[in-house]
Amino acid sequence: MVGLILNFVSACRASGLRVSTAEFLDCLAQLDLVDISDEVQFKTVLSSNFAKSRRDRCRFEQLYRLFFHELSQIPASSSPESMGGLIAELVEVLREGADGDVTYRAIIEFLSGNPLTFLAELKRIRTEEHPATQGGRFNLGPLASRLQVLVNLNRLRNMVAHFINANESRLGFDTGQNLALYFNASLDTAYTLLMNEPRPPGDDTREVTTYRQHYRRLGELPFSMLSQREVEEMREVIVELVRKLKDMATRRWASHSRSVLDVKKTLRRAQRYQGIPVEIVFRHHPPRKAKIIALCDVSSSVWSAARFMLNILYSLQECFTKVHSFIFVSGLAEVTAIFEAHEINLAIEKVLREAAIEYYAPTDYGETLRHFKRDFMDIPDKKTTLIIMGDARTNYFNPEDAILEELRERCRRVIWLNPEPETEWNTGDSEMLTYKPHCHEVRQCRNLNQLIDFIEDLIL
Amino acid sequence: MKFTGVDDVLIKLESAHYIPSREIATVVFLADATSKPILVEGPAGVGKTELAKAVARSLGRELIRLQCYEGLDEAKALYEWEYAKQLLYTQMVKDKINDVIAGAETLAGAVDRIAAQEDAFFSERFIQPRPLLKAISSDKPPVLLIDEVDKSDPEFEAFLLELLSDFQVTIPELGTRKAVNIPFVVLTSNNYRDMSDALKRRCIHLYIDYPERELELRIVMLKNPGIHGRLAGQVVDMIRAIRNLDLKKKPCISEAIDWARSLISLRIEGITPEVVLQTLPMICKYRADSEKVKKSLDTLFSRV
Ligand SMILES: Nc1ncnc2c1ncn2[C@@H]1O[C@H](COP(=O)(O)OP(=O)(O)O)[C@@H](O)[C@H]1O
Ligand SMILES: [Mg+2]
Repeated sequence: MVGLILNFVSACRASGLRVSTAEFLDCLAQLDLVDISDEVQFKTVLSSNFAKSRRDRCRFEQLYRLFFHELSQIPASSSPESMGGLIAELVEVLREGADGDVTYRAIIEFLSGNPLTFLAELKRIRTEEHPATQGGRFNLGPLASRLQVLVNLNRLRNMVAHFINANESRLGFDTGQNLALYFNASLDTAYTLLMNEPRPPGDDTREVTTYRQHYRRLGELPFSMLSQREVEEMREVIVELVRKLKDMATRRWASHSRSVLDVKKTLRRAQRYQGIPVEIVFRHHPPRKAKIIALCDVSSSVWSAARFMLNILYSLQECFTKVHSFIFVSGLAEVTAIFEAHEINLAIEKVLREAAIEYYAPTDYGETLRHFKRDFMDIPDKKTTLIIMGDARTNYFNPEDAILEELRERCRRVIWLNPEPETEWNTGDSEMLTYKPHCHEVRQCRNLNQLIDFIEDLIL
Repeated sequence: MKFTGVDDVLIKLESAHYIPSREIATVVFLADATSKPILVEGPAGVGKTELAKAVARSLGRELIRLQCYEGLDEAKALYEWEYAKQLLYTQMVKDKINDVIAGAETLAGAVDRIAAQEDAFFSERFIQPRPLLKAISSDKPPVLLIDEVDKSDPEFEAFLLELLSDFQVTIPELGTRKAVNIPFVVLTSNNYRDMSDALKRRCIHLYIDYPERELELRIVMLKNPGIHGRLAGQVVDMIRAIRNLDLKKKPCISEAIDWARSLISLRIEGITPEVVLQTLPMICKYRADSEKVKKSLDTLFSRV
């Protein structure tokens, strides 16, 4: 039993689940407490120790099925002519066909009952990055790697058939068929693992929609359709709005955090009543110490929404410890300094003029994420809220969603604001549904009312 | 009292009006047997909070609940000194203080003498225990529900982790308190943010999904005693079909229960498209969701 569970843990780890030794030991101890002939109990002990989030669950399910249901149990090779012996013989023949190809060898291992290398290989394919320079700019990188595995699977299938044909007289019809059955079933399993990569379902991402009408006409107009005059009008509204929000935030904190006694003030006031502390004064909590990273798509359609978000975020700067801002189209540029040095509206004008960004290039989310990972990965921490404002239209470039997943692990929360109506998400080149499972929250954000709702949630 | 096995959990929870899946029962049994906290995740309304309450009812233990929110700190969760009371007492014993410092030669001497009496003011009497301290101090092991832990700040999570590791707290003025009995701890999370690996490692993880048909049917019937089996079946089938639509907020168990209840009070005996339209606000919170259900009525009814 210990060996079996240990093998399963290795498979989990190879696939990217983080299982600690403590959890492995917990699992063993708990298996002693339940009736393991009841599969629900057995599986529950495993899942509750090895898959500790909804996201890990799907991967766990797949591995569990593979390990305890699909992975063909190889019969013992008692004699060369037994089934086990024949399988071993054929595996050896297949092994000889290896030509240094990693995936080929991983599949052979898989066929001989050890799935670890193959699982690790799948994980590599799933998470590897495809820098533009390697011709992998279009979404072909991962596809090419998968194709490589597919080619090898087919090649092996043919080799198995060929072996059985060539040895028909020795094996006899039935044994030949059984051998074919065994290998084809294993190859099918490998194929399914490759093609049905369990993505996190994303059903735990909250989709927030609100219908609160903060402002009637202006509040409902899509950002992308504002005239110059309405943009001006919007700025004025935002000034007033920011004042209101700050007020609300202070009041909220004041009532929330009456926990620390302000000794000095209390004693000073007590003097008015002959030293009797009639009024107890509490210290106000400092504003929340959240860090914000805003990644804004500034290609024409999205910029109109992003600018107002930046405007509000920077107007509310004192609610956060720090606001880092980045803009991107086909590349990424940090613009925090511009916002810190200039008045907001001026900064917004300057951002487009001064940042090193090609505005007319096609938007490349994958490159943006790669760039962020390369240069700015030290910024996010467990107090950071990462806000991405964009339509997720990748122009069919590689979305590199694995990087977003990595970012999620470093941040407190990941929120995606999409200025397109939800009905258009995931149409055409929009990768919204690819990114969504890695976000804690996704929101449509195409007009002021929706933006206000978002900001209120953020600071209150 | 402890659970004796998974079947025992099934029976006891059900008599506490909670119908668990076998998976839930297994996790509850393990948590009880190994004194490990359970971390429950799952969509809203699948019975995460209710599970903790039901465990308390079924074991006859006190339920202590800590509701988490952003900004929740140790003072709110563990204990607070009752400053007002302390100050009031200082006033009342003012004369006594004069006695204490009488005869002190220097100011420093007076201060020393007062300091020697400090203990009187930082004692049990002036401490106001909050849920976590209550849970640790209780002489019978309680059920401690730490609800929506994902709403709390990372600092608080770190503090919680420490507490869950050794079930003891140190109050500087009073010393260390160790739990007399390790409470049965249930943490719930709605995935507002991810919990740290360290916290997850301490816990047994339970994911509660929307229930299987049979289970949900039993829940609806349990919560609406006397409901006709056919109507209950229709309610559950319709709710499950609606859940399959791509909605922002899927109807959960409590919606199934409440919908069934209102159908009974409206004396409706069978579900028709008209009935669904009339009572739609009971099922869908968002207007966009209602619209989707309206549009899909035909398919919903052909599937059911
Ligand atoms: N397994 C169950 N057995 C009985 N009632 C249940 C069950 N699951 C959910 N409920 C009902 O659903 C309601 C909502 O559950 P709740 O615990 O508040 O959900 P959550 O905390 O997951 O959002 C509860 O009041 C309870 O009546
Ligand atoms: Mg709840």
